[in-house]
Amino acid sequence: MKILGDLFRDYRFIFSFIVLLVILILAILSIFSPYDPTLWNVVPRDMRPSAEYWLGTDSNGQDIFWQATFAIRNSLIISLIAGLVSRVIAILVGMVAGYVGGATDRILMFISDSLLVIPLFLVFVMLAMLVREHMNLVVLGLMLSLLTWPWDARLIRSMILSLREREFTKTAILSGTGTVRLVLNEYMPFTMPLIFSTLINNIGFAIGLEITLAIIGLVDLMTPTLGTMLNWALFYQSTFLGRWWWVLTPVVLSLFLFIALYWQSVSISEYLDPRTRIQRVGA
Amino acid sequence: MTGKKQPILRTEQLKAFYILEVQGTQKIVKAVNDVDLTIYENEIYGIAGESGCGKSTLLKALFNDFVPPLRLVSGKLYYRINWEKEIDVTRMSPEEMRQLRMEYISYIPQGSMSALNPVLKLKETYKDFIGSHLGSQSREEIFELAYKQILALGLPKNILDLYPHQLSGGMRQRVTIALASLLKPRIMIGDEPTTALDVVVQRGVIQMLRTIQENFKNTIILVTHDMGVHANIADRIGIMYAGKIVEEGTTEQIFGNPLHPYTQFLINSLPKFGDKNVRHSVPGSPPSLADLPTGCPFHPRCPHALEICTQQMPGFSYPDENHKVACWLIGEGKHEQSA
Repeated sequence: MKILGDLFRDYRFIFSFIVLLVILILAILSIFSPYDPTLWNVVPRDMRPSAEYWLGTDSNGQDIFWQATFAIRNSLIISLIAGLVSRVIAILVGMVAGYVGGATDRILMFISDSLLVIPLFLVFVMLAMLVREHMNLVVLGLMLSLLTWPWDARLIRSMILSLREREFTKTAILSGTGTVRLVLNEYMPFTMPLIFSTLINNIGFAIGLEITLAIIGLVDLMTPTLGTMLNWALFYQSTFLGRWWWVLTPVVLSLFLFIALYWQSVSISEYLDPRTRIQRVGA
Repeated sequence: MTGKKQPILRTEQLKAFYILEVQGTQKIVKAVNDVDLTIYENEIYGIAGESGCGKSTLLKALFNDFVPPLRLVSGKLYYRINWEKEIDVTRMSPEEMRQLRMEYISYIPQGSMSALNPVLKLKETYKDFIGSHLGSQSREEIFELAYKQILALGLPKNILDLYPHQLSGGMRQRVTIALASLLKPRIMIGDEPTTALDVVVQRGVIQMLRTIQENFKNTIILVTHDMGVHANIADRIGIMYAGKIVEEGTTEQIFGNPLHPYTQFLINSLPKFGDKNVRHSVPGSPPSLADLPTGCPFHPRCPHALEICTQQMPGFSYPDENHKVACWLIGEGKHEQSA
């Protein structure tokens, strides 16, 4: 509780926390949706926002508000899977490569460097085409996670490399601290802000990439996500026909989501580093 | 006096080299070259020498901490654990060695900014270090002990709730000493524990070390280039040059009757009260440990260098009890064969 109290002294944290809370509530609301998101023509088409249809309806005859709740939920699921799985890979690879060094380091870095230089987007397009038959939220999330860890693995590795040379590592080793304890208890707190900000970055990246893949039609368009919503809106020329409520809903939602995630990461990273924390909150 | 004491740590022709392979060519840095040390129970042993003479590597070697590129090339390292017979620790498993560290032989780092983990409260660091050695049941007791010890050493009692960067240099140094002595180790090795402190704080730190030594009756090995500190605290001093011990003796012998020209330079460069003469430092700079001169490594800087100095490394001669020196100028004809 005290931690939350300290965090709430930062306006960025308050703002992003509220936005994320609202977005989370939206996602949870999808459970109570009166409509099945896969059915078309359940409501009149192309209605402006009104008391009955809060955000209007689209050309498929779906209620945009309820559609958006599903879209947010699904996008969050994809990006969380992508973020968390790639984090586990990045931490493992980064820490092992950084601490063990030698041949292990070279092999792991060879793999990650190879992934780094391949143009990721084209690989995603190819992969998405290959697994199209089985495409669902989990597969998409795993696909995004398997190719986005190398940057962060390199970051964590470089951090560990620098920590390994610091004086306190020597103090710890010569005081009989074991390797596992050293890495988990002494290095982990150091890399936490880094891991956290890369996690949030990665979540943002996954949402963006999902949107991109959806716009070029490589995911299951019947599953509402922020990306597929945009795809349908563009497909029906909603920008030319002036149906701003349709195209703006996913755009505004993703914008708020990105900003909130970013501020959250900055704020928590600053909190996790005791020096900046003391500067800011004095405790 | 030292004759009755039992050696607690002994090295035999210890050679620890950094072996680097760069672009197919091998480079060998002879940081610890043929060191014979015998350190007794209940004494403070000082190791002196200028920067780049291998002091820190010797310290790592005494901990049996050989991480590539540092390798133990040859020689033996004995600890006498629990007053029993000597054990060659270079044959020990890493796990056994890990247990010995801090419980039997502990390390006092220089209390610099990064000697303790800057993102952890001291409490957490204590917990980690103690947790590596004791089960959870006795951990609480140790914490009690830690509190008591901190109070006894005159440190503020809330110190465990602070981060290392919130402490002054002197406090940080004292905390590192408190931590190193927590499990009552038989040997404590300090790496420049007084460097970067002003003289008043230095005095406090030295007194603290001495109090601990008197209480535990254990051995402290002090590595520092500060001859003033050695004069103050050490019982015996070893002078190190280019990876070798070149002179060893009691503090009185080293300061009263320095025999090796290098030791003479070190002592004569110290300022004295009332003496207004210009102090001369050792001419030149220390040799590269990767490319040592032939013969005695000091001969290029030595004003008394003889023909033989450039060809052969002298062995030790013993001008006095407990006093040994490796120099061709001393003890003609009585030189041991050098390795």
